[in-house]
Order: sequence, then C-alpha cells, then structure tokens
Amino acid sequence: MADNKGSGISGLTEAEAKEFHGMFITSFIAFTVVAIVAHFLAWQWRPWIPGPNGYESSDITPVLHQLTSMFT
Amino acid sequence: MWRIWLLFDPRRTLVAMATFLFVLALIIHFILLSTDRFNWLEGGVKKAASLDVTLSEMIG
Repeated sequence: MADNKGSGISGLTEAEAKEFHGMFITSFIAFTVVAIVAHFLAWQWRPWIPGPNGYESSDITPVLHQLTSMFT
Repeated sequence: MWRIWLLFDPRRTLVAMATFLFVLALIIHFILLSTDRFNWLEGGVKKAASLDVTLSEMIG
C-alpha cells in the first residue's frame, strides 16, 4: 500500500489480482465442498426441518435413510 | 470478477472473512449446543428425563 504500483486502489497489479483470484476461488470451492459434506452428514444425523406434525412424523425420512445408506 | 481485488485489499479481505466466518461458526455451534435436539454432547431428546427431574424436584 506504501508503493501503489497497481492500477486499482488496493495496490495490486492486474496480474497479481488475477493470481490471487485463482487461489481465492480454489479455496472457496474447497471450503464449500467441506461445508456441503458436513451438512449432508448432519442432516443424516438429525434433519432440522420438522414436518407439519413435528420431527417424528416426516414420512420422507425412511426413504432418505434407505437412499443414503447406499452410500455409507 | 477478478477486478474486485483491484478494489479490495486481499489481506484485509481474508482477515475480515476469516474473523466473520469463525465468529459465525462459534455462534451457530453454541446455539446448537443449547438445544435438546442438536446437542451432540448430551445425546438425544430427553423430555421424559427432564420431566422426571422436575417432578422429583417438585415432590421434594
């Protein structure tokens, strides 16, 4: 920031911005994949959207368990 | 899209994002721990057990 060599106000050149953007997108995708896996496992453990009659009455749960047990 | 890094300083952005995500995760985990259904340390739903405690407390 002391030597503002880039074109933007952040001080980065276009090449640096592109390089950082690639790293950022890769990390973002990795983070998102981990989050999706964690949510999948958490939903298998205990779903967090209750049916109209509460958590115990959702008819789709046995089907989901059957479906997910194929992968585990 | 990469032009966003000409506008925002990457270092500050990363620090801000890391701080925000960490605090958000901490809040969500504590909220889940405070519930009966999603507390993964205490186990499952214990309505009957808690009712027992209340009744025994009431009886003496």
